[in-house]
Amino acid sequence: MNALAAGFIFEVRLLRRSFDEMMVLVTAPLMTLILLSITEHAGRTDLAPYAVLAPALIALWTIALFTSGEIIERERQNGSLEPLVATPVAIGSVITGQILAVTLLSLVGFAESWLAAWAAFGIVVPIVHPTAFTAALVATAFAMAGTASVMSSVFVLSRSVRAYQNSLSYPFFVLGGVMVPVALLPGWIEPLSRAVFLSWSADLLRDSLTPEPVTNLVARTGVILALGTAGFLIGLVLLRRALDRLRRTGTIGVA
Amino acid sequence: MLPRDLLAPFRIIRYSAANAWADMWVMFTPASWTFGYLSRLLTQVIFFALIGVLLDSPELVRFLFIGNAVVFMAFEAFISVATTTWERRQGTLPLLVAAPLPLWPVFVGRSVQWLPTGLLSSSAALFVLGPFFGVTWRLPQALAVIAALLVIGVSMYCMALVFGALVLAAMEMRNMVYNVATTVMMMICGVMVPLTFWPDWVGAVANAVPLTHGLAAIRALAEPSAVAPIAGEVVANLLVALGIGAIWMIAAAVLLERLAGIGRRSGSIEFAA
Repeated sequence: MNALAAGFIFEVRLLRRSFDEMMVLVTAPLMTLILLSITEHAGRTDLAPYAVLAPALIALWTIALFTSGEIIERERQNGSLEPLVATPVAIGSVITGQILAVTLLSLVGFAESWLAAWAAFGIVVPIVHPTAFTAALVATAFAMAGTASVMSSVFVLSRSVRAYQNSLSYPFFVLGGVMVPVALLPGWIEPLSRAVFLSWSADLLRDSLTPEPVTNLVARTGVILALGTAGFLIGLVLLRRALDRLRRTGTIGVA
Repeated sequence: MLPRDLLAPFRIIRYSAANAWADMWVMFTPASWTFGYLSRLLTQVIFFALIGVLLDSPELVRFLFIGNAVVFMAFEAFISVATTTWERRQGTLPLLVAAPLPLWPVFVGRSVQWLPTGLLSSSAALFVLGPFFGVTWRLPQALAVIAALLVIGVSMYCMALVFGALVLAAMEMRNMVYNVATTVMMMICGVMVPLTFWPDWVGAVANAVPLTHGLAAIRALAEPSAVAPIAGEVVANLLVALGIGAIWMIAAAVLLERLAGIGRRSGSIEFAA
């Protein structure tokens, strides 16, 4: 637990000095205005919750992809991976702490999005079902951290995958139904979408913002948590494999 | 025969462009560009076009599709904001400032690799994805669209050089400037909603961006009945885009030379002052 806290505190301190890592929090409010302009221009005020929620989810995913995904690689480039591996605490805990810090900070995107809608368009999107919203948000943050731990290890294991890091954004925004619900996409996409926690999160968060009752809250939250847990487990296995390989090939200190 | 000094800027631009092209193939392989970079751009177009499906409006699907496909030409030209700073990062800027020739041609050529890639990205979206979103082209229109994309690319590149010159003096701002500028362009230049949606002052700002006029020309070309009746409108829009681009180019050249002068005088020479 100490290692987790240490990783968390270290990452918070680091992020305070590396503005570029959280760049998407600068553009998230602008993205809210873009999406709201589309729905407002079309006269669809009922879709304001969609337009406010999507940029927050985009910020969450993007920061996980580019900041959490880079954590191990950054340690490697800094030359700090060797001492980290040599310490008697589990490196997985330290990195999980770092990922949790990034994920929590990226939730600021939600507040920004709501504020931008109010400040520019005078639109206040009420959280109609606060319990469902809170449950969905916590589960989403957990699942995002789990998915980020997979990315973090994969980017170290495979340089060729890292070359495609950039391409892991919009395909997942489409698959995850962050703005357009999966139900409106062609049927063959749905099985793929349902393997991405974002699709469950986006649907549940949207439902918590509309007056209709939220159905199957426990089961849907459970699916998000299960996908997040699967992410953490896969992430830990991959991390072990990545470190084993770095030890075996003697490349642990190669920046 | 033209004096050697008059031809010098063109020679510098040619060398600098060769440098830019070499950079391109260090950054990307054809596979990573196609499957990593282009595929992401295409899904971004799909993401925004699908909002038209959410709004249950085929007309808005087309509007959003065209806007988001064309905007990549401008985005890629704007990557030069970041790549302009590479000369300083690589430590070659002091040598360039010390050289007895103007600095601006170096930067005019330095990021041209983004023009062909932008043209390819936008063309792939418009012509390959287009039919899936109800956007089809006849051959004369398609050729005119390519010409319009080139105009957008060149004129936006000129605008980007001004921003590039500014971030040379504040390197840590390069990603921020690129991200904010391109997102604002998406918002106000007629990419997502018509200009008339925004207050007049926003429209005035948008009119200083060549993309606004180039995109209007391409939207006119996309009209099913488009050919002769809209030719004048298309040409007028493209000429306005080029004219605005030329003004940005002059501003960029003045700014770069001024920054070089300040660097020489203050001894900082890297624009660090």
